Amino acid sequence: MTNELNLDREAHDRMTASTRRGAHKTRANTIVKATDHATPLELSNITIHYGGGKGGAEAVNVVDDFNMTLHAGEMHCVAGRSGSGKTSILTVGAGLTLPTSGRVFWEGDSLETMGDDEIADRRRALIGYVDQGGALIDGMSALENVLLPAVPDGEVEKRRDMAKDLLDLVGLGRRMRHRPAQLSGGERQRVAIARALILGTRVLVVDEPTASLDRAAANRIISILKDTTSDGIAVLVASHDHELVRQSDTLTELI
Amino acid sequence: MNAVQRFIRSRVLLLTASILIVAMCLSVLVQGQSQAALSRTVDQNSRGLYDVLVQAKAKDNGGLMQPDIATGQGGISFEQLDSIRKLTGTSVAAPISLVSRVTQNLESPRLDATDYLGFNAGLAGTSGDPTATDPSKWPAAESVLSDTPKKYRLTASAVSSDGHSDQTLFKTTAEGSLGKAKLVEEQVEGGKNVRIQGPEGETGIKFPTPAGGSEHNLFNLSVSLPMAPQVTESVVAVDPVSERALLGTAGDFLSPLEKAPPADARNAGAIGRHFESLFTNGISMDELKEGPDFLGVKLKYWAPLMTQYQQAKRDGQLTDDSQAIPLIVRSGTALDLKYSVKIEEIDDSGNVTKDVGTVTRSLDKDYLPFVSKSPFALAWPGSKDLSQLMGDTGSFSQGLYNPATWTTNFAAAPAYKDGETAANGAVDKSATPGDWVTVNRLPDKAANGEAVDQTQREPVDERSYRQNLETGKKLATPLAMVYGTFDAANVKEAAGDVNRLPLGGYDPAPFTLTKDASGKDVNTELKPSLSATGLVSQSAGAITDYYGLAAARGYDANANVIDAVRVRAKVPGSWKQAQPEVEKLANEIRDMGLQATVVAGSAREDASIAVPGYSKDDAGKESPLGTVQQSWVRQDAADAVSGSLTATNLTLLFLTLCGAALLTGASTVSYIRKRRSEAGTLRAMGWTQRKIRSWVLAEFGVGAALLAVVGVVLSLISWSTATAVVSASVLVLYAGAAFVAAQQLRHRDVVDQEPQHDERLMAVDSPLTFANRQLSTNKFNTISLAVAVGVFAAAVGGLVALLIDIPRAAGASALSGLAAASIALPSIILGVSGVAVGLLLTMVTGRFELQAKRQYLGTLRAMGWNPDMLGQVRFFENAMVGTVALPLGVVGALGIGLLLAPYAALWAAIAGLVAVLCWIPIATKVVQ
Repeated sequence: MTNELNLDREAHDRMTASTRRGAHKTRANTIVKATDHATPLELSNITIHYGGGKGGAEAVNVVDDFNMTLHAGEMHCVAGRSGSGKTSILTVGAGLTLPTSGRVFWEGDSLETMGDDEIADRRRALIGYVDQGGALIDGMSALENVLLPAVPDGEVEKRRDMAKDLLDLVGLGRRMRHRPAQLSGGERQRVAIARALILGTRVLVVDEPTASLDRAAANRIISILKDTTSDGIAVLVASHDHELVRQSDTLTELI
Repeated sequence: MNAVQRFIRSRVLLLTASILIVAMCLSVLVQGQSQAALSRTVDQNSRGLYDVLVQAKAKDNGGLMQPDIATGQGGISFEQLDSIRKLTGTSVAAPISLVSRVTQNLESPRLDATDYLGFNAGLAGTSGDPTATDPSKWPAAESVLSDTPKKYRLTASAVSSDGHSDQTLFKTTAEGSLGKAKLVEEQVEGGKNVRIQGPEGETGIKFPTPAGGSEHNLFNLSVSLPMAPQVTESVVAVDPVSERALLGTAGDFLSPLEKAPPADARNAGAIGRHFESLFTNGISMDELKEGPDFLGVKLKYWAPLMTQYQQAKRDGQLTDDSQAIPLIVRSGTALDLKYSVKIEEIDDSGNVTKDVGTVTRSLDKDYLPFVSKSPFALAWPGSKDLSQLMGDTGSFSQGLYNPATWTTNFAAAPAYKDGETAANGAVDKSATPGDWVTVNRLPDKAANGEAVDQTQREPVDERSYRQNLETGKKLATPLAMVYGTFDAANVKEAAGDVNRLPLGGYDPAPFTLTKDASGKDVNTELKPSLSATGLVSQSAGAITDYYGLAAARGYDANANVIDAVRVRAKVPGSWKQAQPEVEKLANEIRDMGLQATVVAGSAREDASIAVPGYSKDDAGKESPLGTVQQSWVRQDAADAVSGSLTATNLTLLFLTLCGAALLTGASTVSYIRKRRSEAGTLRAMGWTQRKIRSWVLAEFGVGAALLAVVGVVLSLISWSTATAVVSASVLVLYAGAAFVAAQQLRHRDVVDQEPQHDERLMAVDSPLTFANRQLSTNKFNTISLAVAVGVFAAAVGGLVALLIDIPRAAGASALSGLAAASIALPSIILGVSGVAVGLLLTMVTGRFELQAKRQYLGTLRAMGWNPDMLGQVRFFENAMVGTVALPLGVVGALGIGLLLAPYAALWAAIAGLVAVLCWIPIATKVVQ
């Protein structure tokens, strides 16, 4: 286990070097630039309601007047019981859903002023989103899954080596040709994290990364997340894992 | 949770079964409506004026009966007619026969030029007619002629047309001088005499004999013109009482004929003398106007009878055996015969100095065969008819001078040969040409006995498509005796339209030229020929009774001279209700040795007839006319139309429901794949494979039971075997799909742990390659969906083919068009609902992947794929499914089209293609 971790450390160093080597000509250099902006993600007075539409269902007030500022190189954990709105805050922060009220700022720019295409482009450059369970695409190998974010920019081939390095980094260098169905839950999570990092993301938004994992696998994920912050990447993570909460730099606990 | 609860909670099974049940109910309902509309239309339009046509002999015509039932061939005796009438099932038995052709010279044409001198002393008073104009109000003298004679050239010509091309029958020129008349007082014994004579130096104008010259009359100058061509008519014989019973009120025109005297009271000499005595003994003004009473009938046209009798007596034509033949004559004529006179003023050298004008007159709606006196009385340009100044007596008509000539040459109905049969059952025919008939001849001698100058006319040959008829003993020349008139258009109307059955020679079916000899499309109604021996005939010029036929053809009263008997059965109701009784009646008639054709349930149908050898040029080379179209009678049209369209209806129903059932099956199989994990859990709990399958099949059993109940209820409500068969088919397809679906739950022990070989796969670097990978990963569902879309497209193609094919399937009769129109809307509703159900079920099939698709599309979105790229993924996925479905859909549609409606198979394939192409954007929209 220790050896494997050490091996992964080496991979991490190679990946960082590789990223920095390509900084002048690829989107990966945004990792370096990320540190330029102190607050890549800010949520201001966010309120999220569900229901209450024409169907007559009673409206559920999930989040009420939530504020948060995420700094570069910081890991912020949103903790709370199930149904407390952790995932909702993450999807709002990632620009995947709109809040009922309140504003979301990416590097100081409000999402309100952006169209769908601009949000998609900015998200691709800024945010790597890791869904609960990883949400890998069936029928595609781990490597192909990691490379998917590069498809819109036509950089699949260009980033293939980086993808392999990232899979090495998360300890899956030998499993890169396996499909999601052939991977364990922890492995799928790690592939998803690698996928979130492929474009040199400045913010990593991770939903319940250690849920349903054994302690060793969970620790490994936590370790990877902590490592990413050392490169100036801000991590917003939703979890009720005590270890993850403990290792976070800042914490918001939802009631 | 029992199977019913699981079925309900599965929602998908419930939804697909519900869609199928709704489709069944809707389809059966619409099909039922369509069938009812079809039956209603057929019933209302398939029983004509009579039910059975009895003929002595007729060749097998393949179910298409020519309209010329009055053939002149006879063959049915009066005894047989009586036997038919005595049958218990007979309501009306109306005989009809073609009697003869009758040729008559019209009174010589004339040209009248107003030349009124204002002289009225003594004339107004002589009329004694209260309707005459008071002498003090007579107009001033006027004339279209000059005081001093001028030289004129008159060119008389006659042109006839068959509707397609004109035929100049003659063109004759005469010259001479004409001028204003003057009064000449002459001293005669006992006083002065005043007469009208031409001006000094007037030569007058004289056409060749038999035309007279020019003559100054009281109100005009009259120039006698060359003779018009002979006009030939046909005569048919009916029994007026039964004919009226057949026609109803439309046959009231025959009532005078019922009062005609019996054969032994028709001696031509006796009747002629009777009318001569009327004239000798004096006749009242009322009798002049309405005609004298003759055995209860006011004989309006007694004067023509009298003058023709006198002329025939003078010529020695009448014998002691000659009979007067009572006739109801036709009003107007379809013959297109124009008589023209061109008037030119010329100088002494014969050069034209002024074109005075051309005056023309045609035989028209006022023409009456046997009695029209002056059909070609032409007026000089600018002339007025001042004869009315004299009052009504001025219109007193002596009628035609020449008696008619009766003949049986070329009087029969045309004969036809069979040609090809079209896809919709329409039959081509070919007319059989007969001999050539020469017309436009002048008589050898004029009425005054002078030899006629034959050089002024060129005889014309017309093709005869008719045959000579046999006659009985030597014919004693008959004398036409006009009892009344009839309007052929009214009779035609009474015969109906869709179910029009030929009445006989007085209700002929017109011909329309559709292609000329060069094959060029035309649309011209053809006119009868001058000789009336051509293919086209007009309504008979006259209708007489069977005593008349015996007199005209020289037969005894009981000879076999009846061409056809139109029999109406006593049984009321629609053709279908009446069919058993009508068939029974027809069989009883057949037992008499006669041919009985059941025409109840028939309809008119256009037959295309090629007409060869229609004309010949100067070198004698014959040329065809082209192709003509005529309404014939399609036997069993109602049965054929009803059967064919019912089959189409049922096929539509079958296709709609079986397509829906197949799609339900595809949907079900796709759905069950989602339940593999559930099966795995059950297996883990110790369930055997058989128990798991039974557990799932029980859910399908609920759906099948529902379908079975609905099928039984629908079959009972519609009381239709077809509905039961279709329902059973749907149930079988559903059960089959359920069984296949249950097989999908088999346990698979092999766990694939081999890494993916990327090099064998297409790299995912675009929305297209991503879509391709997704579909190839989920092959089963992709193929299921593609099969569903293919089935949908094939069904759409089949439906379209059937809808397009309805007119062909309905047939070529007039009933077909009506019947097809009556089911058009329900059929379209059935087709469209079938397409809608199919589309809905493909959407349901597609929805099983919808959640997974939305999930990975959400993942891609989270990765920063923009909406446009996500749209491309959706589109490419559906486009690829469509591409897989396309061959199945197109080939399936083509196959169904070839099977059901070969003539619309190409359209079916195109419809299948379009259905797939339309499905792609619709499915893309739904996934969004």
